[in-house]
Amino acid sequence: MTENPISDGLLRRLNTLQLVLAGIIIMAPMAWMVLSSLKPSFEVTAYPPTLVFSPTAENYSQLIKTTPFFSYAVNSLIVTIGSAGLGLLFGIPAAFAVSWTRISWPAILTLAARMAPGTLFLLPWYVMFRQVGLIGSYTALILSHAVITLPIVIWVLLPSFDNIPRSVFEAAQVDGCSITRILWRIALPLVGSGVAVAAILAFVFSWNYFLFALVLSNGDTKTLIAAAFNFVGEGSTNWGVLMAAATLIALPPLVLATLVQRWLVAGLTLGAVKG
Amino acid sequence: MAAVESVAMGDGADAAGEGRQRLELAALSAPAVLFTVGMIAFPLVYTVWLSFQSFSSTGKQSFVGLANYAKLISDNEFWHGLWVTLALYVLSLALQLVLGVWLALVLFHARRLSGVVRTLFISPFMMPPVVAGMMWLVILDPSLGAANYILTSFGLPPSDWLASPTWVIPTVALIDSWQWTPYVALIVLGGLQSLPPSVYEAAQIDGASAFKTFQRITLPLLLPTIVTATILRSVDLLRFFDIIYITTQGGPGNASNTLNIYGFRVGFEFFNIGYSSALMLTLTAIVFGAVLAFNRLRGAVAW
Repeated sequence: MTENPISDGLLRRLNTLQLVLAGIIIMAPMAWMVLSSLKPSFEVTAYPPTLVFSPTAENYSQLIKTTPFFSYAVNSLIVTIGSAGLGLLFGIPAAFAVSWTRISWPAILTLAARMAPGTLFLLPWYVMFRQVGLIGSYTALILSHAVITLPIVIWVLLPSFDNIPRSVFEAAQVDGCSITRILWRIALPLVGSGVAVAAILAFVFSWNYFLFALVLSNGDTKTLIAAAFNFVGEGSTNWGVLMAAATLIALPPLVLATLVQRWLVAGLTLGAVKG
Repeated sequence: MAAVESVAMGDGADAAGEGRQRLELAALSAPAVLFTVGMIAFPLVYTVWLSFQSFSSTGKQSFVGLANYAKLISDNEFWHGLWVTLALYVLSLALQLVLGVWLALVLFHARRLSGVVRTLFISPFMMPPVVAGMMWLVILDPSLGAANYILTSFGLPPSDWLASPTWVIPTVALIDSWQWTPYVALIVLGGLQSLPPSVYEAAQIDGASAFKTFQRITLPLLLPTIVTATILRSVDLLRFFDIIYITTQGGPGNASNTLNIYGFRVGFEFFNIGYSSALMLTLTAIVFGAVLAFNRLRGAVAW
């Protein structure tokens, strides 16, 4: 390979070509979604499909006029921020305690939620929440989505806490700091980027989660993702509006994920891959 | 550290401090533990109990022992769902591992990864699977979709994609692979980047070809990473739900009725909570079994 500069340059160009090809395959469907959302209604189902058209916002305005898109979005925000907040509130101290004691069963137990199918939990939750009249409430939705966010927070933060040298904590203890104080005053500021990754991943996965809201929400608390199911039913005739909805629903997780892209994959593997 | 501890042991005041420390640590993990017990562990046990119950149409429940599990064995729809689940699993996993390793090698040999490229690669798996389903539903429309236009303009026959009982599973596998191959690639890329460069230098001195180097050196060293990616994808693929529910709801007919979709519909469309519980516990056992098996494999290929 190295002894032949010509083939080396050729290999590099071939590699770039493959990278561009992969990039096109990844990007084309998303570009098509956005383009379709900007097409006038008579053009979106044109066959052969058109690439050149005069873009319009009519699909977006129709989406907002004909569906309660904004209230769904508010519901999604309430459930997502609520569950991500709960995940952080419970997960940060738990991850710190697990890192400190090396007793890992609480962290491993939360992984059961990562492995079992959502329906498995939905069945008992449905029976339980119905008994206490919580079906359709934000409480039920936030609690159920916190089952998604808690393992993310714990497993993203665990390696971050593990990376802090123990001598830092020991010095603070000698000075008479309690463990709780060490966590909030010393450890947490040191793992700031880990907390940001955990918070964003928790937000993204809660926002994207479909199954629980499908059963536990009602007309007033329906999240965007659950409402998307109705959009598909109604949008079978109106692709422009459907793609406008798809674009808007995908936007928040995509924007947030971009902020932490560098640390994202290690965080997503729940401790299986070190970043 | 050891000296500090031995001093602490002999001191009564510090022993009390250690007890307080243990209490503090327990208090720190208590909210997460209580939440996990209430929302994960207890519901799991409750599902087991539900799986021994039968629910009549009026909502009356009665204890039926193992009848729901006995019903599984004679339920054709269960076996069909198992077949669909496994077919989709094997197809998607194979696609994602092969393409993912290829893509990882391409990324590894790229001069540098700009933020734009990274953003592009994470976009598919950061968008909601439901949105991916909506997007592909429009692209793959049998009569007006862009995919068939591209096929026919190359002189290839059009496909019914998601509307075809034969092609729906390969199509769903393609959609999921579009979403998750970049994820597998980025995990494998992490593995590639952590390989010691010295092994390549040794291979080059020995005059090994690029393919031989990959086959004999890179691939075996990458195996633990590939198994890790396999575990992570297995967990999602065996529970396949979102993309199918948004595009076909298990159809056409029952052609894409995976176990998770079937169990969900039994539970929440026909309200047969008992039988659905038995179905879901069976699926959970399959997922846990796969994870444990691959975990052992990871131990075997570790270096």
